[in-house]
Amino acid sequence: MKRRLLFVLAVAAAAAVVGGCGGGSSDSGGSGGSTSAGTPQPGGDVVIARTQESLGMDNINVFDNESIWIFQQMFESLYTVSADGKSVKPWLATGYDLSDDKLTYTFHLREGVKFHNGQPMTSADVKFSIDKARDPKTGWGFIDVAIKSVEAPDPNTVVIKTKYPWAPLVADIALFNNAILPKDYAGMSQKDFYANPIGTGPFKWDHWTHGKEIKLVKNPDYWQKGKPYLDSVTWTTVPTDATRELQLKGGQAQIDEFPPFSTIDTLKQTPGITMNLFPSTRTDYLPMNFKAKPFDDVHVRRAISYAIDRQAMIDSVLFGYATPANSFMPPQVPYYDKNSPGLQFDLDKAKEEMAQSSVPNGFSFELSVGSGDDTQTQIAQILQESLKQIGIDLKIRKVDPSVQFQQQQEYDYEMTFAYWTMDIADPDELVSFAVDNKTAGSFFTDYNDPQQIEWTHQAQATFDTGQRQELYTQIQKKAAEDAFMVFLYYSPYRYATTDKVQGFQVYPTGNYHMEDVWLKQ
Amino acid sequence: MDRLTYVGHRLLQLIPVMFGCTLVVFFMVHLIPGDPARTMLGPRATPENVARLHKEWGLDQPLINQYLDFLSRLIHGDLGTSLFYGIEVRQMLSERIGPTLWLMGLAAIIAVSIAVPLATLAATKKDGVRDQAIRFVPMFGLGMPPFWLGIILILVFGLNMGRLFPVGGYGDGFFGHLHSMILPAITIAVFLAPILIRSLRASLLDILQSDYITTARSKGIPEKRVIARHAVRNGVISMVTVLGLNMAYLVGGTFVVEKVFAIPGLGTMMIDGILQRDFTVVQAVTLTFAILVVLINLVTDVVHSLLDPRVRF
Repeated sequence: MKRRLLFVLAVAAAAAVVGGCGGGSSDSGGSGGSTSAGTPQPGGDVVIARTQESLGMDNINVFDNESIWIFQQMFESLYTVSADGKSVKPWLATGYDLSDDKLTYTFHLREGVKFHNGQPMTSADVKFSIDKARDPKTGWGFIDVAIKSVEAPDPNTVVIKTKYPWAPLVADIALFNNAILPKDYAGMSQKDFYANPIGTGPFKWDHWTHGKEIKLVKNPDYWQKGKPYLDSVTWTTVPTDATRELQLKGGQAQIDEFPPFSTIDTLKQTPGITMNLFPSTRTDYLPMNFKAKPFDDVHVRRAISYAIDRQAMIDSVLFGYATPANSFMPPQVPYYDKNSPGLQFDLDKAKEEMAQSSVPNGFSFELSVGSGDDTQTQIAQILQESLKQIGIDLKIRKVDPSVQFQQQQEYDYEMTFAYWTMDIADPDELVSFAVDNKTAGSFFTDYNDPQQIEWTHQAQATFDTGQRQELYTQIQKKAAEDAFMVFLYYSPYRYATTDKVQGFQVYPTGNYHMEDVWLKQ
Repeated sequence: MDRLTYVGHRLLQLIPVMFGCTLVVFFMVHLIPGDPARTMLGPRATPENVARLHKEWGLDQPLINQYLDFLSRLIHGDLGTSLFYGIEVRQMLSERIGPTLWLMGLAAIIAVSIAVPLATLAATKKDGVRDQAIRFVPMFGLGMPPFWLGIILILVFGLNMGRLFPVGGYGDGFFGHLHSMILPAITIAVFLAPILIRSLRASLLDILQSDYITTARSKGIPEKRVIARHAVRNGVISMVTVLGLNMAYLVGGTFVVEKVFAIPGLGTMMIDGILQRDFTVVQAVTLTFAILVVLINLVTDVVHSLLDPRVRF
């Protein structure tokens, strides 16, 4: 129990830190969240106008954020990500004990939690849900690869055993794929269940009119007494940026998802509107294909990384609302190293690297740019000018975004665009995808460094935070020196709301807790 | 051949048209580069996940087998399941076709209501100031990009002038739909009306020169009645053909307006399907468009024969 007490203290300390900087300014030019002013008032309906339609509510197979952010209002996990994105806090569990051999986790379930159909949540539901989620045949099964077994010795206790010591386990358990669903899908088929989902969350399923809206309504029996405040939340699909903004101004929507960077300044000046910039984990990169010469040459890759004036790019393309990236890990991830030596703009060094490279007189290559993506096009044009100065001739190859993905994943490209957002409060998922070639080809660059892979595996099995920090610092430093991708910038999540919306905060992982949101009368 | 047999024959012609469509669309969407599995998974596309989805969707089968499978399901009335949404495409179509039909229908009504009086006014005072103005001013409508006009209409009528109309969306119930569809329908009608005005004006000018109009006038029939009963009725025949052709063209062309006004119609479903490479959705929507085009042409011919008894099949 001592370990459990320690953990509770650690969580309390983390909460204090989070509370202290709640919605504060970010490293990415953020202006913080819509912090609550006054006493929350119950009632009211909120409409969130977003850029894209959701794909489905299947939490173990769906990958798009527009679905994930909605089903997280219905489905909850044993643990959840903290507001700063750097730790987890107990949610449907109240705590856990870890055995001395680091292989057995005993979770204690919160009592009094009920599903939307009135059935109480028990360990049998947890076992059913996590067993479903960890099936390797499901989309997110790879997250749970370390889990050996899930047992339910009594209704309020769940024991999870891992195959080997696995430090990210609790962060993994907090992921939405491990959310707790009623056992046997409450008697429904899997397909029927996801068409009429049931969870323990603050909001219940109402309806989905495809292409138009998804509506969730208040769960009056929610385990956090007094919450949620809102009667309903509706997510509409409004692909045109200008229309979303006009709906917000006209009162048809209360939250506008992702207004373009170009409108941020104007929205900040608009009476009745609050423009929020939340620190995110979004990191933009330019992966380079090691299988395409001369990108196998580290000097070429470093020269390119040095030649890019990231701040100038941010100022002109993102209107200043981003921060140059110094690591492939974003600042809102645990173990991010702010001193990581990500290569920054230095034309002299770029020329030096070119002189040492296999192509000292320059070369020509193609950058794949998603057609219809204005940001990528503008960045490509800036890059074209920058690289000219070190004798590199960049040609823009416009391709359909779907083709862009395919070509990257089949190594049929030279340089392309990519980005990442974190799912869990642990760097392991990102680091595995970025530097462990076996996971997904190191962002399909084919970067394959045995030392990096070894460090990644060591970090997975190390529970001491100091040692983990050391390992992740080394990984970030080596990744920067090897310059296997250009690390471009960290950009914030952009949400404009009406002034009446209170308590709306987007976490660095992109999710938001609608149970905390209320409307000022 | 009587009218009913003619309609029957034309409907039978749908079968080879649809077969041709399935062939072209199926192979076109499958042969262009782009993989739905990789689009769906994004940076998390592990080889295992890509293979799993290909297997689940049957994309690991030879293309010809996939086509035959698609055809056999189609014959049984099964349009398949959307790769991305995991729901039956038939259900998606039934949800999405309503807004598109509303939009096109209302746009046609508004365009005709603008075109008939204006063309009549223009034709009756040929080369006068009124005629020149009616020929000139609506041409701006043709030149205005729909996304721009849509935003301006929203700004003026949805926001600034007392919020007369909703800012996009489809509304609920008959009057909700009507209320939401007026601005987008006007956006399309502004494009459609000048074409109709020009064609109706031209045919009215011809008609007003013809002998039977002179006869009617010499019999002392009042000018208003001559225009309304004798001239416009005949002039409308050519306009119906022009309208039919343009409506068929609009079937696939409403997507910009649908996007601007956030209308959950077939156009946006089609564009999203193409971008995601959701093969079943693209196939089903294209077939629906093909059917709509054939039906619109058929309706145009039937209306033509009703308006002009000389038309024989």
